[in-house]
Amino acid sequence: MRHIAALLLALPAAAALAAGGAAWVKLPGGAFRSALKYEDASELQIAPFELQKRPVTNAEFLAFVQANPQWRRDRVASVLAEPRYLSQWAGPTTLGDAAQPQQPVVQVSWFAASAYCEAQGARLPTWSEWEYAAAADETRRDARSDPAWRERILAWYSRPSNKALPRAGLQAPNAWGVQDMHGLVWEWTDDFSSLLVSGDNRMQGDADRLKFCGAGALSMDDRENYAVLMRVAMLSSLEARDTTANLGFRCARDVK
Amino acid sequence: MKTFRNVLFGLPAALLLLAFAAVAAPAQAPLPRDSVYQLPAVLTDQHGKAWDWRSKRGTPQVVAMFYTSCRYVCPLIVDSGKAVEHALGPEERAKLGILLISMDPARDDPRALMQVASKRNLDAAHWSLASPPADSVRSVAGVLGVRYRQLADGEFNHTSALVLLDREGRIVARTEQVGTRLDPEFVAQVRQVLRAP
Amino acid sequence: MKAATCRHALFLAAALAVALGGCKGAQDGAETRPVAAGDTGGSLKGDFGPPQGKPVEAVLTSPPHVPPPTGRHAPAKVIVELDVVEKEMEISEGTTYTFWTFGGTVPGSFIRVRQGDTVQFHLRNMPDSKMPHNIDLHGVTGPGGGASSTFTAPGHVTRFTFKALNAGLFVYHCATAPVGMHIANGMYGLILVEPPDGLPPVDKEYYVMQGDFYTSGKYREKGHQDFDMQKGIDENPTYVLFNGREGALTGDKALTAKTGETVRLYVGNGGPNLVSSFHVIGEIFDKVWFEGGTRFQENVQTTLIPSGGAAIMDFHVEVPGSYVLVDHSIFRAFNKGALAILKADGAERPDIYSGKEVDAMYIGDQANANLAAVGVAAKAASTGELTVEDQVKAGQALFAGTCSTCHQANGEGLPGVFPPLAKSDYIAADPKRVATIITHGLQGPVTVNGHDYNSLMPPMAQLTDDEVANIATYVLNSWGNPGGHVTKAEAAEIRKGPGISTGGSAEGH
Repeated sequence: MRHIAALLLALPAAAALAAGGAAWVKLPGGAFRSALKYEDASELQIAPFELQKRPVTNAEFLAFVQANPQWRRDRVASVLAEPRYLSQWAGPTTLGDAAQPQQPVVQVSWFAASAYCEAQGARLPTWSEWEYAAAADETRRDARSDPAWRERILAWYSRPSNKALPRAGLQAPNAWGVQDMHGLVWEWTDDFSSLLVSGDNRMQGDADRLKFCGAGALSMDDRENYAVLMRVAMLSSLEARDTTANLGFRCARDVK
Repeated sequence: MKTFRNVLFGLPAALLLLAFAAVAAPAQAPLPRDSVYQLPAVLTDQHGKAWDWRSKRGTPQVVAMFYTSCRYVCPLIVDSGKAVEHALGPEERAKLGILLISMDPARDDPRALMQVASKRNLDAAHWSLASPPADSVRSVAGVLGVRYRQLADGEFNHTSALVLLDREGRIVARTEQVGTRLDPEFVAQVRQVLRAP
Repeated sequence: MKAATCRHALFLAAALAVALGGCKGAQDGAETRPVAAGDTGGSLKGDFGPPQGKPVEAVLTSPPHVPPPTGRHAPAKVIVELDVVEKEMEISEGTTYTFWTFGGTVPGSFIRVRQGDTVQFHLRNMPDSKMPHNIDLHGVTGPGGGASSTFTAPGHVTRFTFKALNAGLFVYHCATAPVGMHIANGMYGLILVEPPDGLPPVDKEYYVMQGDFYTSGKYREKGHQDFDMQKGIDENPTYVLFNGREGALTGDKALTAKTGETVRLYVGNGGPNLVSSFHVIGEIFDKVWFEGGTRFQENVQTTLIPSGGAAIMDFHVEVPGSYVLVDHSIFRAFNKGALAILKADGAERPDIYSGKEVDAMYIGDQANANLAAVGVAAKAASTGELTVEDQVKAGQALFAGTCSTCHQANGEGLPGVFPPLAKSDYIAADPKRVATIITHGLQGPVTVNGHDYNSLMPPMAQLTDDEVANIATYVLNSWGNPGGHVTKAEAAEIRKGPGISTGGSAEGH
């Protein structure tokens, strides 16, 4: 694996994409208890699925844009991506110095991320799939009850967002073999807009059943799991065309 | 999820014909980049006809998302559409389309959509109730700014909004106030859009 | 047992209210006593003579409801019959607790009498109770507040009579030893002694009481939970709740009101330990009878309710929506359950509150991430020759991107879990260890700077030889470590060589 990593770094950006993106990891799924309190299920069943080992990089997204020019930042429909889309690149099809090929691509909208995954014959992961894959640390499949693990994640949140992003795949893989689920970028999920929370996240146990047509806002079941809480807060603040400087994505696909 | 690339660069001829045969030819000027119709979406309406929603270009639309088996707010969405109609004069009404898009295409087939249309006496000349393909619901909701979650029992939790599109499909107003009591500012915007040439 | 917390702050507030509120009394409506510069005379002036008319059965209500105003204008004899019931109830979804209650609820039934009333109090302890109980009502003038006269064994009833000489909103609670435990199990409630002319009329009155709970298990740990005495002594509650149950006043059970109404909350704090910083998100208390006393303050955002104390607050509702009642010691609200909801229905008032008007893009000052840092990061992967300084800079960026998550940005690690890298005797003993551990990982017992660790660090197989060399060089030159450098070639060699054996496998953490 590390030989491939070394090779990828040495090759020019375009050629690096030839492999079609990062490697895939197969996750078995199964019963999973979310940190969110869903009114219709206390335990979820996650079907087996595949997830990309690391987030999509600038180089990979560049190749996609070159092959699909309607996703160039100077041609994309504004309903599908806001004006900051790919603003970190030097030009519509040039990365430039501020966007290293192996850095995770950011400033991408949900529509753009979905289109990229579709082009790979894949899709964005669902929130539950993301949560399930992210529950692991390096040695355990579910490390969520370990306060030391939660502390590590909180430490990332406390670092401000104005430093350069490291390359994708820098961190050790978790117990599933997946890298960078924490500590690198926020990631889009296919159903991010299902995270129905009140703009005022203090509305736990909201009595307003009309707000979401028969349900109040979602609340947290596991209040100590700040990792999930902050991600939910982040994703629920976004519209599908939005981009931010620390929001990227990776793809998932069904197991054949 | 609708395949963006395929639709724009290799749409099967049959579908293309179907889309354009069903309605009058759209305006020749290029579609503005901030038009929701930039998102390709083929809807199947209460008459069983399938058309790209781009064919609504040329007529301002009041758009909302709903599903037929919804018990809480969705009946209010229909009420809102009717309230908008009642607030307008007959010439204005003739120039406005009302488009209700289902977030539950699995169950909202043309028959189910027609049932709602007949039960609520919706004027077929102006009201379209339609379902997108299952893999397009998320994107249509995304451009309209509607959020939803499907529950285990098939019901949905969702936000509710009326979205006003101009002739080119640009969002010019939206209101979260649904029901017979309309947001007067939204009605004013509807009037303004209908007045524009 | 009278609370004595925060007297200084409240004296100040009282003085303020006299200054500000002194002239406002006349505006409140005919039934309010004018709050003039003098005082009401206290208990000395609170005896209005013997009870008149037929004895009255007190109307007791379960929370969150409040009995109607007495409407009396003369002192009466009031009969109060209150049961003590020990019962197991849910404290949180899926979590049960054995509560000791007055009237079968936590808090116990609300009692409403008028100043000057003679109250004949019957305390009945259910036969299936395990413990004897009594009652101390803070509105009673007399030894123990009634406790010494109401010590009741299971299957017994005791009775005593008192005259309510002072007006106010008073806590009552069980005072049987160990008192802290009885209170912690939910044995508290409120008794309102109306001033002679009653309180100004309002549209809705509600009864809310905060309490802290101490269980052996963690917050929301499912199953039956026991009382934990040590946590009580340490004042470290598991739950801080309104009305004895998480979610007692949320969702379908939220308090309700209509816009245009004036709402009054009678809020008590049973404790046993915590003081409440009571606040309603989105509303301001138009009037607060702080500490449940005679004078009121106006325009208050958050009011202190002492443990074993209470307060009355009025506010007028203008805008529809959900208003969240919290203890503004905010971790209690979101991590221990001190949260309730008042749902107000009515027409929108965009002139008072518009909702979100704008959500647009904000560019900021267009400053991108420091380009120098990016250049450094690029060099981190380069195959050219780097100076030690360059390696250190590159290594620092890489370290921040992965190693710091466990070892911290300052190399201090996490005590007992992740060993420090800063001024490490383990590194000083053999600097080659740094690159070896990065490439091979380490598990088993190690001692660093006098402390033992027994964890597992996986091999960082995802790092290139360049990255290993740069990170190792950075670590060696930071935080008092011996210095030196590791080249890419050396890193490659070390990767091929053996790892470090500690003779054990990880205990895990």
